[in-house]
Amino acid sequence: MTPRTIEEAAELANRIETQLNQVLIGQPAVTRQVMLALITGGHVLIEGVPGLGKTLLARSLARVLELDFQRIQFTPDLMPSDVTGHVLFDSQTGDFRVRKGPAFTNLLLADEINRAPAKTQAALLEVMQERQITIEGETFELDPPFVVLATQNPLDQEGTYPLPEAELDRFLFKILIDYPELEDETRMVEMVLDGSLPDSLDAEQLTPVTNAEGILALAHQAEAVILDRAIIDYILRLVRATREHPSLIQGGGPRASIALARTAKTQALLAGRDFVIPDDIKQVAPPVLRHRLRLGVDADIEGQTVESVLEQLLEQVEAPRQ
Amino acid sequence: MDLNRINARLAPRSCWQAVDFGTRLYRRWWRQGALVWLVFTALPFALLAGYGAATRSVWPMLVFWWLKPLWERPLLAFYSRALFGDYPSPWTLLRTFRSYGVNGLAGQLTWRRLSPMRGFLTGVWQLEGSKGDKASGRLSVLLRPPSQRAGTLTLTVLTLEHLMTVALVVLAITLVPWQFNLEFSVWFQEQSRLQWAFANLAWYLVLMVTEPLYVATSFALYLNQRTWLEGWDLQLGLTRIGERRRRAGRGGAALLVLLALFSAAPHPAEAQAGQPESRLKRDAAQSLLPPVESGRSDFSRDNGATESASTDKDAPKQQALDLLASDTFMPFEERQDRRLRESLRDDDNDSWWRDLLKKLLERDRDNSDRDDPLSIPDTVVEGMGYLLLLVLLGVILALILQRLPGGLARRRRGPEMPVNVAGLDTRADSLPADLNQALDDELARGDIRAALALLLRDGLITLFQRHPTPLTAGATEQDCLRAYRRLLGDAPVVAWLADLIDAWTRTAWAHRPSDREWVRALRDRWGELRPALTGRAPS
Repeated sequence: MTPRTIEEAAELANRIETQLNQVLIGQPAVTRQVMLALITGGHVLIEGVPGLGKTLLARSLARVLELDFQRIQFTPDLMPSDVTGHVLFDSQTGDFRVRKGPAFTNLLLADEINRAPAKTQAALLEVMQERQITIEGETFELDPPFVVLATQNPLDQEGTYPLPEAELDRFLFKILIDYPELEDETRMVEMVLDGSLPDSLDAEQLTPVTNAEGILALAHQAEAVILDRAIIDYILRLVRATREHPSLIQGGGPRASIALARTAKTQALLAGRDFVIPDDIKQVAPPVLRHRLRLGVDADIEGQTVESVLEQLLEQVEAPRQ
Repeated sequence: MDLNRINARLAPRSCWQAVDFGTRLYRRWWRQGALVWLVFTALPFALLAGYGAATRSVWPMLVFWWLKPLWERPLLAFYSRALFGDYPSPWTLLRTFRSYGVNGLAGQLTWRRLSPMRGFLTGVWQLEGSKGDKASGRLSVLLRPPSQRAGTLTLTVLTLEHLMTVALVVLAITLVPWQFNLEFSVWFQEQSRLQWAFANLAWYLVLMVTEPLYVATSFALYLNQRTWLEGWDLQLGLTRIGERRRRAGRGGAALLVLLALFSAAPHPAEAQAGQPESRLKRDAAQSLLPPVESGRSDFSRDNGATESASTDKDAPKQQALDLLASDTFMPFEERQDRRLRESLRDDDNDSWWRDLLKKLLERDRDNSDRDDPLSIPDTVVEGMGYLLLLVLLGVILALILQRLPGGLARRRRGPEMPVNVAGLDTRADSLPADLNQALDDELARGDIRAALALLLRDGLITLFQRHPTPLTAGATEQDCLRAYRRLLGDAPVVAWLADLIDAWTRTAWAHRPSDREWVRALRDRWGELRPALTGRAPS
């Protein structure tokens, strides 16, 4: 299905989310944010303890959108060529042949990205930024949409290589995935027990809703959403306020402002509007900004978090004037 | 034991000075103390530690620890004699153990074992030879004030013992080659025989330092307590004066003065009441009494001589007073007490608050200026003082309340309407006097945005005045709507606000102005709803 109007776009997005929420119980905010990133064309860093359905989400997304899906388990011995691909010598033909890596896909799940050394991380991040891969001097364009869903575990930090700030900035969103509410977890257990929800990573039961073309059409529609100048001012005031906040030693850069503006448009589209309102900014600000901000040591000792500072900023920065 | 042979100056000290005195005892004879400890404990320790290591059991070391009062007896015997110039060898102490080491030991090894006063009270049995009720009487006398801090001392030395043991073990482990497999990280999970023996040895070596120290400091506390209670320092001083007078062949009058002074000495009688025929006291008495008696005989002789030689009468008296006043004889602790009242009186640099304070403090005593017509009446001064105190207390209370989460003042004030909400000026005085007219004017000009802005501002201000709710400067239109939906539910005014905000957002952010008639309809609905909130329609 390819949407032609705002209503159709909202309807399509709604159907995709409904499908995803069937397997990912109790995480509607996560599915909404992943949808936003997918349509906006940004990459997602998902942080959460193991067992909360990150891989299932990626598989389900690939199934519902009929996208090509690959998964890489990042380990300390993973090499850049294991991600991007390499050149092989074919003894039968006596020629060199390119063997494409798992990055040649639409939806790439980079599981526990912080377990690989910086060199391998950089190789992937380069692909994320340029959406092309160069192997032995030959450049390959990646088919759109290309979205990386990278995961990391917030608890088990031993033997990991934390992503540098510059590389974190390449991610459009950082999504925090937490345990589901009691009600949702109860429903999940009941569904698994009565067989309506497979106790595996199998997403075959889901019905495809659209394809890559549909996603690109949604992205195209999102671009056409009206963004008033006053709201752009609001975005800039908000991002600049992160740079001046005493509790933060690093605020959002221009890339954060752009990400906010683009994501807010998609958010408006998914809400069935062809114009952005200030609330769209407030809704997408936490996942867009949280990984781009660094808390100062003093604030950390005082018990503040990036989330609390963001909340404070969203309350203090004046809503846009018309 | 002759008090005249004492190697230290007897004086009533504070308990910490006494402990310091004890550490000096230890430092002076630390080699001998360590030797005594080794002679008496090395073999039992080796046997018990060996057995404990062989059987991997804890109780042999527990037995050694429990027998600490036994091991401390020879040390006390050594220090108590060394202080009086007698230095018994370890072999002598070993040979004569029965004479000093048995009395009261059974009690100390059973029900008194865990007493924190152990070291302090050992002297009662070991040095005084008290038994039964007499010992109980002596204990109650010794435990009288002034405080002797024996319990604190025991805990301190115990802590020191453990810290030093752990430190020694850690230090050694860091130095031991890795081949010995002495890994501290697995110390509490798995212990080899070597680790076991090593920890025990470390403890024993530490005890070689802490036990003599504990005995010496406890003994010093004991001596100090007796000096306080029995005036040993005075007795010693009297003895010396008596001897000096006897040697000089005169001094009856001086002794009379000294005896008169001695009658005012601190509690000798009290201490004597529970005094057993202790070895120490008996020895002291033996050394003390003859000179005193001879002094008295000298005094009798001199008394007779006084009549014939009245010119020499004041000389010995003065000599005795000089001796008592000398630094080497009596208290070496000087105290300076300056009271606020005195310091105020002495201070020439007066200021108004000093005057006030002075008046407050001296109100009852100083009535000299009552007749002065210009003086401040006492009641006024007192009132000012109380007022000052009340203000001070009020300020402190206010500061505390302010710092409490959700402080009192803030709770009372309630939420304040921010100056800007949703990008709109929400100050009540910023609205035009005639809202309907202003709205019609904007509609006539075709400025739908301005008309809706007016309506929204009036709506928000009115709603907030009627139903205050916390709104921040960052609140958007939808935030306002959500806040009032939470507060008022599905009330008609909330439905009106939702319609208004919908029209406003389309106009403001989508650049699609609402229909003029729709704006008028919203205004009319507001005209019906407003009186319920304010009691009057928009003017």
